[in-house]
Amino acid sequence: MIVSSLFSYVLVAMLLFSIGLLGVIARKNIFVIYMSIELMFNAINLLFVALAQYRHSYDGQIFAVVIIATAAAEAAVFLALIVVLFRRKKSLDADVLRALSQKEAA
Amino acid sequence: MNDLLFFLLSFFALFGAFGMIVLHQPVHSALSLIVTLLALAGLFALLNASFLFAVQIIVYAGAILTLFIFIIMFLNVKESNLPKEPNKTLYLFLGGIVLIPLNLLVLRAFYAMPLLREPLAEDFGEIQPLGAALFTKWLLPFELISLLLLVALIGAVVFARKDEV
Repeated sequence: MIVSSLFSYVLVAMLLFSIGLLGVIARKNIFVIYMSIELMFNAINLLFVALAQYRHSYDGQIFAVVIIATAAAEAAVFLALIVVLFRRKKSLDADVLRALSQKEAA
Repeated sequence: MNDLLFFLLSFFALFGAFGMIVLHQPVHSALSLIVTLLALAGLFALLNASFLFAVQIIVYAGAILTLFIFIIMFLNVKESNLPKEPNKTLYLFLGGIVLIPLNLLVLRAFYAMPLLREPLAEDFGEIQPLGAALFTKWLLPFELISLLLLVALIGAVVFARKDEV
């Protein structure tokens, strides 16, 4: 049976993680970058839960719960940051945020 | 039956994820991500994680993404505020090609692992044994999460407050 094999879940998790990574490196919209990070969290969660079932242990599921709580905390801080940035720069372009770039300072 | 469910759920998960990075408007991306999150909740249910199934729907799709869409609508993003991405498709295509070797490497590492054979315990993934493990073996991380959430709450309030001169 395909469902009971670990490999199929690893395949799906890996593809989701790659799509998330692709979103982070190829897009400029801050919202999409943040959602891609969330997608990577979810791919890792799927991997943890699949391995928890594989090993007959609850540790992976508890780790997934911890990751979801961390993502919730991250969402609050990140959205507050986006609100502040949008208020100041009036843009969602990640390329506008270059206060720390060396080129700008020179 | 379960195989068919797995195929459908993983198809919707990948479809939603792909739509998220391709679509231009942030609201469309967020709605597409909700499809992915709900499909992943279904995959958790297939993996006997009934508590995580509920948590994924309530916390992720229910709370985080709702907050997200609320912020997008609250900011009232116009087309002129969005970044112009003329080469988006090219970047996505090239990035996808670059990521193929990484995928193959990880999949090769996992390919050697044997399939799951032993049947699971009757109550695997129920709330009771999960809660017992959470409150005994993982008590310290559990308490630290509450601290982390408190810090995030205070941090969000400090960031979002109006600048006082």
